[in-house]
Amino acid sequence: MNWTRHNPGWTMFAAMIGLLVFLWGLAVPLSSAPAPIGPAAGQFVEGARITVWLTLIAGSAGVVIGIIAGLGKLSRFRPLRWLCDMYVWLIRGTPLLLQILFVWLVAPTILPEGFDLSDFACAAIALSLNVGAYNTECVRAGILAVPYGQIEAAHALGLTTLQTFIDVILPQSMRVALPALANNLASLVKDSSLAYAISVVELTMVGYRVQAESYQPVPVFITVAAIYLILTTAFTTLTAALEAQLAVGQRR
Amino acid sequence: MKDDNPARPIIQARQVNKRFGAFQALKNVSATFYEGQVTAIVGPSGSGKSTFLRTLNRLEAHDSGEIVIDGIELNSNLKNLDAIRREVGMVFQSFNLFSHLSILRNITLAPMRVRKMDRADAEVKARQLLERVGLQSQADKYPLQLSGGQQQRVAIARALAMDPKILLFDEPTSALDPEMVNEVLSVMRELAYSGITMLVVTHEMGFAREVADRIIFFDHGVILEDTTPDVFFSNPAHERAQVFLSQVRHGF
Repeated sequence: MNWTRHNPGWTMFAAMIGLLVFLWGLAVPLSSAPAPIGPAAGQFVEGARITVWLTLIAGSAGVVIGIIAGLGKLSRFRPLRWLCDMYVWLIRGTPLLLQILFVWLVAPTILPEGFDLSDFACAAIALSLNVGAYNTECVRAGILAVPYGQIEAAHALGLTTLQTFIDVILPQSMRVALPALANNLASLVKDSSLAYAISVVELTMVGYRVQAESYQPVPVFITVAAIYLILTTAFTTLTAALEAQLAVGQRR
Repeated sequence: MKDDNPARPIIQARQVNKRFGAFQALKNVSATFYEGQVTAIVGPSGSGKSTFLRTLNRLEAHDSGEIVIDGIELNSNLKNLDAIRREVGMVFQSFNLFSHLSILRNITLAPMRVRKMDRADAEVKARQLLERVGLQSQADKYPLQLSGGQQQRVAIARALAMDPKILLFDEPTSALDPEMVNEVLSVMRELAYSGITMLVVTHEMGFAREVADRIIFFDHGVILEDTTPDVFFSNPAHERAQVFLSQVRHGF
Protein backbone atom coordinates (compact mmCIF):
# COMPACT_ATOMS: atom_id res chain seq x y z
CA MET A 1 0.00 0.00 0.00
CA ASN A 2 2.94 2.27 0.64
CA TRP A 3 4.04 1.84 -2.93
CA THR A 4 0.52 2.73 -4.04
CA ARG A 5 0.67 5.94 -2.04
CA HIS A 6 3.95 6.98 -3.60
CA ASN A 7 3.18 5.96 -7.16
CA PRO A 8 -0.56 6.43 -7.58
CA GLY A 9 -0.34 7.04 -11.31
CA TRP A 10 1.56 3.84 -11.97
CA THR A 11 -0.69 1.84 -9.67
CA MET A 12 -3.79 3.01 -11.48
CA PHE A 13 -2.18 2.16 -14.78
CA ALA A 14 -1.08 -1.26 -13.52
CA ALA A 15 -4.52 -2.07 -12.07
CA MET A 16 -6.24 -1.17 -15.31
CA ILE A 17 -3.79 -3.15 -17.43
CA GLY A 18 -4.08 -6.02 -14.96
CA LEU A 19 -7.84 -6.00 -15.28
CA LEU A 20 -7.68 -6.01 -19.07
CA VAL A 21 -5.05 -8.76 -19.20
CA PHE A 22 -7.11 -10.76 -16.75
CA LEU A 23 -10.29 -10.47 -18.82
CA TRP A 24 -8.37 -11.18 -22.02
CA GLY A 25 -6.25 -14.06 -20.78
CA LEU A 26 -8.59 -15.67 -18.29
CA ALA A 27 -9.57 -18.31 -20.85
CA VAL A 28 -6.04 -19.72 -21.04
CA PRO A 29 -5.61 -21.06 -17.47
CA LEU A 30 -9.30 -21.91 -17.17
CA SER A 31 -9.43 -24.02 -20.31
CA SER A 32 -6.50 -26.12 -19.12
CA ALA A 33 -8.29 -26.82 -15.82
CA PRO A 34 -9.98 -30.20 -15.38
CA ALA A 35 -13.73 -30.68 -15.86
CA PRO A 36 -16.11 -29.16 -14.99
CA ILE A 37 -14.16 -25.87 -15.26
CA GLY A 38 -12.09 -26.49 -18.40
CA PRO A 39 -14.91 -27.19 -20.86
CA ALA A 40 -16.88 -24.15 -19.60
CA ALA A 41 -13.89 -21.72 -19.72
CA GLY A 42 -15.50 -19.61 -22.44
CA GLN A 43 -18.67 -19.17 -20.40
CA PHE A 44 -16.72 -18.06 -17.31
CA VAL A 45 -14.81 -15.48 -19.34
CA GLU A 46 -18.00 -14.17 -20.92
CA GLY A 47 -19.66 -13.99 -17.50
CA ALA A 48 -16.71 -12.13 -16.01
CA ARG A 49 -16.79 -9.62 -18.83
CA ILE A 50 -20.50 -8.97 -18.32
CA THR A 51 -19.88 -8.48 -14.61
CA VAL A 52 -17.06 -6.00 -15.30
CA TRP A 53 -19.16 -4.12 -17.84
CA LEU A 54 -22.09 -3.87 -15.46
CA THR A 55 -19.78 -2.62 -12.73
CA LEU A 56 -18.04 -0.04 -14.92
CA ILE A 57 -21.25 1.32 -16.43
CA ALA A 58 -23.28 1.39 -13.21
CA GLY A 59 -20.23 2.59 -11.25
CA SER A 60 -19.63 5.57 -13.54
CA ALA A 61 -23.29 6.47 -13.89
CA GLY A 62 -23.67 6.04 -10.15
CA VAL A 63 -20.95 8.62 -9.45
CA VAL A 64 -22.60 11.12 -11.79
CA ILE A 65 -26.01 10.48 -10.21
CA GLY A 66 -24.44 10.72 -6.76
CA ILE A 67 -22.89 14.12 -7.52
CA ILE A 68 -26.11 15.49 -9.02
CA ALA A 69 -28.37 14.17 -6.26
CA GLY A 70 -25.81 15.09 -3.59
CA LEU A 71 -25.84 18.67 -4.85
CA GLY A 72 -29.63 18.52 -5.08
CA LYS A 73 -29.85 17.58 -1.44
CA LEU A 74 -27.85 20.69 -0.56
CA SER A 75 -29.85 22.93 -2.87
CA ARG A 76 -31.63 25.99 -1.54
CA PHE A 77 -34.57 25.09 -3.80
CA ARG A 78 -36.83 23.06 -1.55
CA PRO A 79 -38.68 20.90 -4.13
CA LEU A 80 -35.35 19.73 -5.54
CA ARG A 81 -34.17 18.85 -2.04
CA TRP A 82 -37.36 16.88 -1.46
CA LEU A 83 -37.00 15.07 -4.75
CA CYS A 84 -33.44 13.97 -3.93
CA ASP A 85 -34.40 13.00 -0.38
CA MET A 86 -37.24 10.94 -1.79
CA TYR A 87 -34.95 9.22 -4.27
CA VAL A 88 -32.45 8.18 -1.61
CA TRP A 89 -35.20 7.16 0.77
CA LEU A 90 -36.87 5.00 -1.85
CA ILE A 91 -33.74 3.25 -3.09
CA ARG A 92 -32.19 2.66 0.31
CA GLY A 93 -35.45 1.41 1.71
CA THR A 94 -36.13 -1.30 -0.86
CA PRO A 95 -34.21 -4.44 -1.87
CA LEU A 96 -31.92 -4.21 -4.88
CA LEU A 97 -33.42 -7.39 -6.30
CA LEU A 98 -36.84 -5.75 -6.27
CA GLN A 99 -35.45 -2.66 -8.02
CA ILE A 100 -33.89 -4.79 -10.76
CA LEU A 101 -37.12 -6.72 -11.29
CA PHE A 102 -39.09 -3.49 -11.20
CA VAL A 103 -37.05 -1.82 -13.95
CA TRP A 104 -37.15 -5.00 -16.04
CA LEU A 105 -40.93 -5.46 -15.71
CA VAL A 106 -41.96 -1.81 -15.84
CA ALA A 107 -39.65 -0.52 -18.58
CA PRO A 108 -41.48 -2.29 -21.45
CA THR A 109 -44.84 -0.93 -20.33
CA ILE A 110 -43.78 2.73 -20.17
CA LEU A 111 -41.37 2.83 -23.12
CA PRO A 112 -42.78 3.74 -26.52
CA GLU A 113 -43.57 0.99 -29.01
CA GLY A 114 -40.55 -0.41 -30.83
CA PHE A 115 -38.12 0.89 -28.25
CA ASP A 116 -36.66 -2.15 -26.61
CA LEU A 117 -34.42 -2.26 -23.55
CA SER A 118 -32.16 -5.29 -23.30
CA ASP A 119 -31.99 -7.26 -20.07
CA PHE A 120 -28.44 -5.99 -19.67
CA ALA A 121 -29.59 -2.37 -20.01
CA CYS A 122 -32.33 -2.92 -17.43
CA ALA A 123 -29.79 -4.34 -14.98
CA ALA A 124 -27.38 -1.45 -15.67
CA ILE A 125 -30.12 1.13 -15.05
CA ALA A 126 -31.29 -0.47 -11.82
CA LEU A 127 -27.72 -0.84 -10.53
CA SER A 128 -26.87 2.76 -11.47
CA LEU A 129 -29.88 4.09 -9.62
CA ASN A 130 -29.07 1.91 -6.63
CA VAL A 131 -25.40 2.78 -6.28
CA GLY A 132 -26.23 6.41 -7.13
CA ALA A 133 -28.43 6.67 -4.05
CA TYR A 134 -25.69 5.40 -1.76
CA ASN A 135 -23.17 7.67 -3.49
CA THR A 136 -25.47 10.65 -2.92
CA GLU A 137 -24.88 10.54 0.80
CA CYS A 138 -21.11 10.18 0.37
CA VAL A 139 -20.94 13.13 -2.00
CA ARG A 140 -23.09 15.25 0.29
CA ALA A 141 -20.83 14.50 3.24
CA GLY A 142 -17.79 15.32 1.09
CA ILE A 143 -19.20 18.68 0.01
CA LEU A 144 -20.11 19.58 3.58
CA ALA A 145 -16.54 18.80 4.63
CA VAL A 146 -15.06 21.53 2.41
CA PRO A 147 -14.13 24.44 4.71
CA TYR A 148 -16.25 27.51 4.02
CA GLY A 149 -13.15 29.68 3.79
CA GLN A 150 -12.17 27.88 0.59
CA ILE A 151 -15.46 28.88 -1.01
CA GLU A 152 -15.16 32.46 0.23
CA ALA A 153 -11.65 32.69 -1.17
CA ALA A 154 -12.86 31.49 -4.56
CA HIS A 155 -15.72 34.00 -4.55
CA ALA A 156 -13.44 36.81 -3.45
CA LEU A 157 -11.19 36.04 -6.43
CA GLY A 158 -14.15 36.47 -8.75
CA LEU A 159 -14.79 32.83 -9.62
CA THR A 160 -18.41 32.14 -10.51
CA THR A 161 -20.49 29.64 -8.58
CA LEU A 162 -19.93 27.01 -11.27
CA GLN A 163 -16.17 27.63 -11.43
CA THR A 164 -15.99 27.50 -7.65
CA PHE A 165 -17.76 24.16 -7.71
CA ILE A 166 -15.64 22.59 -10.43
CA ASP A 167 -12.24 23.96 -9.40
CA VAL A 168 -12.51 24.00 -5.63
CA ILE A 169 -15.49 22.24 -4.09
CA LEU A 170 -15.61 19.12 -6.26
CA PRO A 171 -11.93 18.12 -6.02
CA GLN A 172 -11.81 18.81 -2.30
CA SER A 173 -15.06 16.99 -1.58
CA MET A 174 -13.96 14.01 -3.65
CA ARG A 175 -10.98 13.35 -1.46
CA VAL A 176 -13.33 13.07 1.49
CA ALA A 177 -15.96 11.10 -0.39
CA LEU A 178 -13.66 8.73 -2.25
CA PRO A 179 -13.11 6.04 0.42
CA ALA A 180 -16.87 5.68 0.80
CA LEU A 181 -17.42 5.76 -2.96
CA ALA A 182 -14.78 3.03 -3.34
CA ASN A 183 -16.66 0.97 -0.80
CA ASN A 184 -19.82 1.31 -2.86
CA LEU A 185 -17.95 0.28 -5.99
CA ALA A 186 -16.63 -2.86 -4.30
CA SER A 187 -20.19 -3.71 -3.25
CA LEU A 188 -21.36 -3.07 -6.77
CA VAL A 189 -19.02 -5.70 -8.24
CA LYS A 190 -20.85 -8.28 -6.15
CA ASP A 191 -24.32 -6.72 -6.28
CA SER A 192 -24.21 -7.02 -10.06
CA SER A 193 -24.74 -10.76 -9.50
CA LEU A 194 -28.40 -10.02 -8.79
CA ALA A 195 -28.81 -9.30 -12.49
CA TYR A 196 -29.06 -13.08 -12.86
CA ALA A 197 -32.72 -12.70 -11.79
CA ILE A 198 -33.57 -11.04 -15.11
CA SER A 199 -31.53 -13.59 -17.07
CA VAL A 200 -28.40 -11.50 -17.60
CA VAL A 201 -25.69 -14.10 -17.98
CA GLU A 202 -23.10 -12.61 -15.66
CA LEU A 203 -20.55 -14.50 -13.61
CA THR A 204 -22.83 -15.90 -10.91
CA MET A 205 -25.36 -17.04 -13.47
CA VAL A 206 -22.59 -18.83 -15.37
CA GLY A 207 -21.53 -20.60 -12.19
CA TYR A 208 -25.08 -21.59 -11.47
CA ARG A 209 -25.53 -23.05 -14.95
CA VAL A 210 -22.23 -24.90 -15.01
CA GLN A 211 -22.79 -26.53 -11.65
CA ALA A 212 -26.33 -27.49 -12.67
CA GLU A 213 -24.97 -29.30 -15.73
CA SER A 214 -22.01 -30.90 -14.01
CA TYR A 215 -23.45 -31.58 -10.53
CA GLN A 216 -20.15 -30.34 -9.08
CA PRO A 217 -20.98 -27.11 -7.22
CA VAL A 218 -17.80 -26.95 -5.09
CA PRO A 219 -15.10 -26.46 -7.77
CA VAL A 220 -17.44 -24.30 -9.83
CA PHE A 221 -18.30 -21.89 -7.04
CA ILE A 222 -14.68 -21.76 -5.86
CA THR A 223 -13.73 -20.68 -9.38
CA VAL A 224 -16.49 -18.06 -9.41
CA ALA A 225 -15.43 -16.77 -5.99
CA ALA A 226 -11.79 -16.55 -7.10
CA ILE A 227 -12.74 -14.52 -10.15
CA TYR A 228 -14.82 -12.13 -8.01
CA LEU A 229 -11.92 -11.73 -5.60
CA ILE A 230 -9.55 -10.84 -8.41
CA LEU A 231 -12.06 -8.34 -9.83
CA THR A 232 -12.71 -6.61 -6.50
CA THR A 233 -8.96 -6.50 -5.83
CA ALA A 234 -8.38 -4.78 -9.15
CA PHE A 235 -11.15 -2.25 -8.49
CA THR A 236 -10.06 -1.47 -4.94
CA THR A 237 -6.44 -1.07 -6.04
CA LEU A 238 -7.66 1.37 -8.64
CA THR A 239 -9.65 3.42 -6.16
CA ALA A 240 -6.89 3.34 -3.54
CA ALA A 241 -4.50 4.75 -6.12
CA LEU A 242 -7.02 7.42 -7.06
CA GLU A 243 -7.35 8.28 -3.40
CA ALA A 244 -3.59 8.68 -3.09
CA GLN A 245 -3.62 10.86 -6.19
CA LEU A 246 -6.25 13.17 -4.69
CA ALA A 247 -4.68 13.21 -1.24
CA VAL A 248 -1.88 15.37 -2.58
CA GLY A 249 -1.32 18.47 -0.46
CA GLN A 250 -2.94 16.96 2.60
CA ARG A 251 -1.41 16.43 5.99
CA ARG A 252 -1.16 12.76 6.92
CA MET B 1 3.42 59.28 5.01
CA LYS B 2 1.92 59.74 1.59
CA ASP B 3 -0.12 62.44 -0.06
CA ASP B 4 -3.08 63.35 2.10
CA ASN B 5 -5.16 64.92 -0.65
CA PRO B 6 -6.19 61.77 -2.47
CA ALA B 7 -7.57 61.88 -5.94
CA ARG B 8 -10.70 59.94 -6.70
CA PRO B 9 -13.21 58.22 -4.43
CA ILE B 10 -13.09 54.48 -5.17
CA ILE B 11 -15.28 53.07 -2.41
CA GLN B 12 -18.38 54.85 -1.21
CA ALA B 13 -20.45 53.34 1.58
CA ARG B 14 -23.59 55.16 2.64
CA GLN B 15 -25.82 54.27 5.58
CA VAL B 16 -24.82 50.62 5.49
CA ASN B 17 -26.67 48.36 7.92
CA LYS B 18 -26.09 44.71 8.64
CA ARG B 19 -27.65 42.52 11.27
CA PHE B 20 -27.10 38.90 12.25
CA GLY B 21 -30.37 37.88 13.85
CA ALA B 22 -30.90 40.16 16.82
CA PHE B 23 -27.33 41.49 16.71
CA GLN B 24 -26.81 44.63 14.70
CA ALA B 25 -23.26 44.41 13.42
CA LEU B 26 -23.24 47.64 11.39
CA LYS B 27 -25.33 50.71 12.17
CA ASN B 28 -25.64 53.29 9.41
CA VAL B 29 -21.98 53.12 8.50
CA SER B 30 -20.87 55.67 5.94
CA ALA B 31 -17.35 56.13 4.65
CA THR B 32 -15.59 57.11 1.46
CA PHE B 33 -12.21 55.72 0.51
CA TYR B 34 -9.95 57.27 -2.07
CA GLU B 35 -7.73 55.74 -4.70
CA GLY B 36 -4.28 54.89 -3.41
CA GLN B 37 -5.23 55.42 0.19
CA VAL B 38 -4.13 52.96 2.87
CA THR B 39 -6.66 52.74 5.64
CA ALA B 40 -6.25 50.80 8.85
CA ILE B 41 -9.52 49.72 10.43
CA VAL B 42 -9.14 49.06 14.12
CA GLY B 43 -11.39 48.42 17.07
CA PRO B 44 -12.29 45.85 19.68
CA SER B 45 -13.47 42.34 18.77
CA GLY B 46 -17.07 42.26 17.63
CA SER B 47 -17.08 45.96 16.80
CA GLY B 48 -18.09 45.32 13.19
CA LYS B 49 -14.79 46.09 11.49
CA SER B 50 -14.43 42.70 9.77
CA THR B 51 -18.12 42.66 8.88
CA PHE B 52 -17.74 46.05 7.25
CA LEU B 53 -14.76 44.86 5.22
CA ARG B 54 -16.66 41.75 4.15
CA THR B 55 -19.65 43.75 2.93
CA LEU B 56 -17.34 45.54 0.49
CA ASN B 57 -17.01 42.43 -1.71
CA ARG B 58 -20.33 41.00 -0.60
CA LEU B 59 -19.03 38.04 1.37
CA GLU B 60 -21.67 39.51 3.66
CA ALA B 61 -24.64 41.12 1.93
CA HIS B 62 -25.62 44.42 3.56
CA ASP B 63 -29.25 44.72 4.61
CA SER B 64 -29.71 48.35 3.65
CA GLY B 65 -27.69 51.32 2.52
CA GLU B 66 -25.59 51.73 -0.56
CA ILE B 67 -22.10 50.62 -1.51
CA VAL B 68 -20.50 51.83 -4.72
CA ILE B 69 -17.13 50.45 -5.75
CA ASP B 70 -15.30 52.17 -8.58
CA GLY B 71 -18.59 53.48 -9.95
CA ILE B 72 -20.41 50.14 -9.79
CA GLU B 73 -23.17 49.64 -7.29
CA LEU B 74 -22.79 46.53 -5.15
CA ASN B 75 -26.16 44.78 -4.96
CA SER B 76 -27.73 41.47 -5.79
CA ASN B 77 -27.02 42.00 -9.49
CA LEU B 78 -24.57 39.23 -10.36
CA LYS B 79 -22.99 41.15 -13.21
CA ASN B 80 -22.10 44.00 -10.88
CA LEU B 81 -20.87 41.55 -8.29
CA ASP B 82 -18.58 39.76 -10.75
CA ALA B 83 -17.22 43.07 -12.00
CA ILE B 84 -16.53 44.25 -8.45
CA ARG B 85 -14.94 41.02 -7.29
CA ARG B 86 -12.57 41.17 -10.22
CA GLU B 87 -11.31 44.53 -8.96
CA VAL B 88 -11.31 43.84 -5.24
CA GLY B 89 -8.81 41.36 -3.84
CA MET B 90 -9.03 39.92 -0.37
CA VAL B 91 -6.57 38.41 2.08
CA PHE B 92 -8.05 36.38 4.91
CA GLN B 93 -7.04 35.81 8.49
CA SER B 94 -6.81 32.05 7.90
CA PHE B 95 -5.13 32.39 4.45
CA ASN B 96 -7.70 30.12 2.74
CA LEU B 97 -5.27 28.90 0.12
CA PHE B 98 -6.76 26.12 -1.98
CA SER B 99 -5.33 23.11 -0.20
CA HIS B 100 -5.60 20.75 -3.17
CA LEU B 101 -3.64 22.99 -5.53
CA SER B 102 0.09 23.73 -5.67
CA ILE B 103 1.26 27.24 -4.77
CA LEU B 104 1.63 28.06 -8.47
CA ARG B 105 -1.87 26.79 -9.32
CA ASN B 106 -3.32 28.71 -6.39
CA ILE B 107 -2.07 31.89 -8.01
CA THR B 108 -2.86 31.05 -11.64
CA LEU B 109 -6.40 29.75 -11.05
CA ALA B 110 -8.29 33.04 -10.94
CA PRO B 111 -6.40 34.78 -13.78
CA MET B 112 -7.00 31.73 -15.99
CA ARG B 113 -10.66 31.28 -15.10
CA VAL B 114 -11.81 34.85 -14.56
CA ARG B 115 -9.48 36.85 -16.81
CA LYS B 116 -9.17 33.98 -19.36
CA MET B 117 -5.39 34.34 -19.35
CA ASP B 118 -3.60 31.40 -20.93
CA ARG B 119 -1.62 29.09 -18.69
CA ALA B 120 1.86 30.11 -19.81
CA ASP B 121 1.22 33.83 -19.24
CA ALA B 122 -0.48 33.16 -15.93
CA GLU B 123 2.49 31.10 -14.75
CA VAL B 124 5.01 33.75 -15.74
CA LYS B 125 3.01 36.28 -13.81
CA ALA B 126 2.59 33.96 -10.83
CA ARG B 127 6.35 33.39 -10.64
CA GLN B 128 6.98 37.13 -10.74
CA LEU B 129 4.53 37.63 -7.89
CA LEU B 130 6.10 34.81 -5.90
CA GLU B 131 9.44 36.51 -6.34
CA ARG B 132 7.93 39.76 -5.13
CA VAL B 133 6.80 38.08 -1.90
CA GLY B 134 10.10 36.19 -1.63
CA LEU B 135 8.78 32.69 -2.29
CA GLN B 136 9.93 31.89 -5.82
CA SER B 137 11.41 28.57 -4.71
CA GLN B 138 8.10 27.31 -3.26
CA ALA B 139 6.04 27.29 -6.47
CA ASP B 140 5.56 23.55 -6.66
CA LYS B 141 4.80 22.92 -3.01
CA TYR B 142 1.36 22.63 -1.48
CA PRO B 143 -0.06 25.13 1.02
CA LEU B 144 0.23 22.82 4.02
CA GLN B 145 3.96 22.39 3.39
CA LEU B 146 4.51 26.09 4.05
CA SER B 147 4.60 28.02 7.30
CA GLY B 148 1.74 30.37 8.19
CA GLY B 149 3.72 33.44 7.22
CA GLN B 150 4.64 31.91 3.87
CA GLN B 151 1.03 30.90 3.23
CA GLN B 152 -0.15 34.41 3.91
CA ARG B 153 2.44 35.82 1.52
CA VAL B 154 1.20 33.38 -1.14
CA ALA B 155 -2.36 34.53 -0.39
CA ILE B 156 -1.26 38.11 -1.03
CA ALA B 157 0.37 37.05 -4.30
CA ARG B 158 -2.82 35.20 -5.25
CA ALA B 159 -4.89 38.32 -4.68
CA LEU B 160 -2.40 40.46 -6.62
CA ALA B 161 -2.52 38.10 -9.61
CA MET B 162 -5.94 39.55 -10.48
CA ASP B 163 -4.46 43.07 -10.63
CA PRO B 164 -7.02 44.40 -8.18
CA LYS B 165 -7.56 48.09 -7.73
CA ILE B 166 -8.42 47.51 -4.10
CA LEU B 167 -7.00 45.04 -1.59
CA LEU B 168 -8.92 44.13 1.54
CA PHE B 169 -6.99 42.58 4.43
CA ASP B 170 -9.04 40.88 7.13
CA GLU B 171 -6.72 40.58 10.14
CA PRO B 172 -3.92 39.20 7.96
CA THR B 173 -1.49 38.58 10.82
CA SER B 174 -3.85 37.48 13.58
CA ALA B 175 -3.47 33.74 12.91
CA LEU B 176 0.31 33.88 12.70
CA ASP B 177 2.99 32.94 15.17
CA PRO B 178 4.68 36.12 16.41
CA GLU B 179 7.93 35.47 14.60
CA MET B 180 6.09 35.32 11.26
CA VAL B 181 4.16 38.55 11.59
CA ASN B 182 6.95 40.75 10.31
CA GLU B 183 7.52 38.91 7.04
CA VAL B 184 3.86 39.47 6.14
CA LEU B 185 3.85 43.08 7.33
CA SER B 186 6.92 43.86 5.26
CA VAL B 187 5.20 42.59 2.12
CA MET B 188 2.17 44.71 3.00
CA ARG B 189 4.37 47.72 3.64
CA GLU B 190 5.92 47.36 0.21
CA LEU B 191 2.41 47.14 -1.29
CA ALA B 192 1.22 50.19 0.58
CA TYR B 193 3.92 52.30 -1.04
CA SER B 194 3.12 50.89 -4.49
CA GLY B 195 -0.04 52.97 -4.69
CA ILE B 196 -2.73 50.30 -4.46
CA THR B 197 -5.82 51.13 -2.40
CA MET B 198 -5.70 49.12 0.80
CA LEU B 199 -8.15 48.57 3.63
CA VAL B 200 -6.57 46.68 6.48
CA VAL B 201 -8.46 45.37 9.47
CA THR B 202 -5.70 44.84 11.96
CA HIS B 203 -4.57 44.66 15.56
CA GLU B 204 -1.03 45.64 14.58
CA MET B 205 -1.02 49.19 15.90
CA GLY B 206 2.63 49.71 15.03
CA PHE B 207 1.91 48.86 11.42
CA ALA B 208 -1.20 51.02 11.36
CA ARG B 209 0.69 53.99 12.73
CA GLU B 210 3.63 53.61 10.38
CA VAL B 211 1.96 52.68 7.09
CA ALA B 212 -1.65 53.86 7.11
CA ASP B 213 -2.78 57.22 5.72
CA ARG B 214 -5.96 57.01 7.70
CA ILE B 215 -7.32 55.23 10.74
CA ILE B 216 -10.90 54.21 11.25
CA PHE B 217 -11.94 53.15 14.72
CA PHE B 218 -15.02 50.93 14.96
CA ASP B 219 -17.01 50.36 18.10
CA HIS B 220 -20.40 48.68 18.47
CA GLY B 221 -21.10 48.79 14.75
CA VAL B 222 -20.38 52.49 14.21
CA ILE B 223 -17.34 54.45 13.11
CA LEU B 224 -16.28 56.43 16.15
CA GLU B 225 -13.10 57.94 14.79
CA ASP B 226 -11.99 58.62 11.27
CA THR B 227 -8.72 60.47 11.29
CA THR B 228 -5.00 60.36 10.63
CA PRO B 229 -2.72 58.00 12.56
CA ASP B 230 -0.98 60.92 14.26
CA VAL B 231 -4.20 62.28 15.69
CA PHE B 232 -5.61 58.87 16.52
CA PHE B 233 -2.60 57.60 18.42
CA SER B 234 -1.67 60.83 20.18
CA ASN B 235 -5.00 62.42 20.82
CA PRO B 236 -8.11 60.31 20.17
CA ALA B 237 -11.36 62.19 20.50
CA HIS B 238 -13.47 59.48 22.08
CA GLU B 239 -13.05 57.90 25.43
CA ARG B 240 -13.67 54.42 24.00
CA ALA B 241 -10.79 54.90 21.60
CA GLN B 242 -8.57 55.99 24.49
CA VAL B 243 -9.54 52.88 26.45
CA PHE B 244 -8.91 50.70 23.41
CA LEU B 245 -5.50 52.25 22.85
CA SER B 246 -4.49 51.83 26.45
CA GLN B 247 -5.37 48.16 26.20
CA VAL B 248 -3.36 47.51 23.04
CA ARG B 249 -0.53 49.93 23.74
CA HIS B 250 1.82 47.26 25.04
CA GLY B 251 2.22 46.16 21.42
CA PHE B 252 4.40 49.07 20.35
